[in-house]
Amino acid sequence: MLTTEELCIIGRRAKIEMSSLNDHSLNGPLNDHFENLSLIVVTGKGGTGKSVVSAALGRHLAERGRRTLLLEVDPRENLHHLCDVPPSGGDIVDVAPKLYLQNLKPTDVCDWVVEKQVKIKPIVNRVLKSPVYQRFVEGAPGITEIAILGHALRLVRGDRPDAPKIDTVILDAPATGHGIYLLTSSRLFGETVGEGPFADLALEVADFVDAPEKTGMVVVTLAEEMPVQEAIELVRDFESKLGRPPDLMVANALYPPVTQGPEQDDELTELWRSRRAVNEKELTRLAEHWPGPALPLPLLALDDGPRLVRALTDLIAEDFAAEESPTL
Amino acid sequence: MTALDPMTVLDLNRPNPPLIVVVGSGGVGKTTLAASLGLVSAEAGHDTLVMTFDPSKRLKDTLGVDESVGGAEVPVPTDTTGRLHASLLDPRETFDRLVERYAPDDEARDRILSNRYYDHMSGHLGGILEYMAVERLYEVATEGKHQRLILDTPPTREAIDFLEAPQRIVDFLDSGALKIALKQWFADDGQLNVTSGMGFVGRGLEGFLDRIVGMKLLRDMSEFFRAFGPLFPGFKERAGKVQKLLAERETIFVLVTGPGRERIPDTLFFARRLREAGYHLGPVVVNRVHPMLDGAESLDTNQDPAGHELFRWLGTRHSEALTELQRRLTDQQQVVSLPLVPHEPTDLKSLTAMGQDLQRVLLAPNASI
Repeated sequence: MLTTEELCIIGRRAKIEMSSLNDHSLNGPLNDHFENLSLIVVTGKGGTGKSVVSAALGRHLAERGRRTLLLEVDPRENLHHLCDVPPSGGDIVDVAPKLYLQNLKPTDVCDWVVEKQVKIKPIVNRVLKSPVYQRFVEGAPGITEIAILGHALRLVRGDRPDAPKIDTVILDAPATGHGIYLLTSSRLFGETVGEGPFADLALEVADFVDAPEKTGMVVVTLAEEMPVQEAIELVRDFESKLGRPPDLMVANALYPPVTQGPEQDDELTELWRSRRAVNEKELTRLAEHWPGPALPLPLLALDDGPRLVRALTDLIAEDFAAEESPTL
Repeated sequence: MTALDPMTVLDLNRPNPPLIVVVGSGGVGKTTLAASLGLVSAEAGHDTLVMTFDPSKRLKDTLGVDESVGGAEVPVPTDTTGRLHASLLDPRETFDRLVERYAPDDEARDRILSNRYYDHMSGHLGGILEYMAVERLYEVATEGKHQRLILDTPPTREAIDFLEAPQRIVDFLDSGALKIALKQWFADDGQLNVTSGMGFVGRGLEGFLDRIVGMKLLRDMSEFFRAFGPLFPGFKERAGKVQKLLAERETIFVLVTGPGRERIPDTLFFARRLREAGYHLGPVVVNRVHPMLDGAESLDTNQDPAGHELFRWLGTRHSEALTELQRRLTDQQQVVSLPLVPHEPTDLKSLTAMGQDLQRVLLAPNASI
């Protein structure tokens, strides 16, 4: 069994090979950029390792001194397992120095907005039970998204006296292809609803999301056909609907390069070589559409869990500190 | 395997089951598997339709479906014994057609289809994609044009979302209590009540509600639910029939999952829920399992011991996870695996090969490929 350190060396080798595929480059370390953001939305298709990358990015920023909250909205909690803590059950829990975790139920945020607006307890309860309110919370355009982002906004502003002060929220965004909807729906909501506390919140959220110095987007993909196709489409969507590209592309779980010649391949090496070839082909295709900052991460011989997060955090730390931000 | 229900063994050579629903969370290869099952079924002589949701570009090209044909059934260019068709699922189109079917007249239909609340809700309400997929399955099954239907379901985060969707949508659209509540603001003809907004005594709740929700949205909601009211009984009855079709013995679910240990709890949970709900779960297919390959020793492994170590590790971990899943499900469920192959199948030949591999392990559960 190899140590994490050894695995990381393999990973770095995989990365260096990948980096030579394309020589786009940007100025300044990624740390400078990411340490100024208040919200980082991590999007990607299911199965790409989005949660692991979110956790590693959060750990890295916390270790850089940012008070960081990992925010998850999936009702079936997963991030706690990667952070080695019990399920948060909706509360903000400590994970490590300056690193927090929360599993958020969006309707709780909506209920909280109602409580703040109405203030009179018996009426609050009647409002929350009303079929009108329930259809509103489930069916109004973008209400869930506003609740999630509004919650993040309030935390980084320090509007919640019951919560620790947070510098950066990392949102492990819902997987079902709605990354773009998450970020654009607050405007739509403002226009449809127009009035009331939710509309006010929607407009604040829209301004927050529209500010590139406050909100950043990270796309996580695998270097395989379908995920890369979706990543390319997502970049286009970000540019056309949000007016700016994502801040970082993460190509996750790359097979290491094969060092020996193909003439002596056994079955294992043959499979390895062809999966690696798929990775390289798809990364080349991705690079044609994505000249911006990119972080290739290796497939490591570690189970999904704290050790994998630790190993990826170290790789992120190294690339984020580089004078020139890495590209594909 | 002693307690395995013979009805849930999937043998595509036989005419049963006429309905196959392929479920699983996103990114596990459901669509590819659905297409390969379709090819094997057609090859066995059964006229088959594969209904897919979101195939990759190359798979779309292979099947001949793209946005230009909408939800139409197109023949797949194969020389299989039975005919093979494919179609893309369009949830909004399906919902619109439902509205059309149950609307009492054109005016009622148009009022719904042009409503802003409907416009949003039909695209974004949680569970709507899943529900429209089974609604479409019911629609096509009723037409009876094919001997076998294979439904590839939308990529949910959790496979279980698929089961809960229909009831959720029916509850949501049940407007009985809502119409009474909305009477506070709008009369039966949709006109704003004169008393609204005047703040008479007892309007506490309503006063807060219209401030919170906003009158604009309230009006949209009121219009939608008022227009949808007459459709609801028909809609609900149909949802019942859709559920019944899914629960029939001739409908077999195939659960596709990924190879890692971290997938096991979800898979067990889904299998249990499916059985509890009275559905028939056929095989559980663990896809893209890293094979246990030897031969690495014959190489000059010093060149890259770590790379080989990674592959051996993946092979071992996946095999352990598979064994555990088999152990925990084996009394009720057939658990089979498909290996990770050098290239994801996208052309008809490799899809057929994948389907044949699957058919082989399904019919000889102890065989491995």
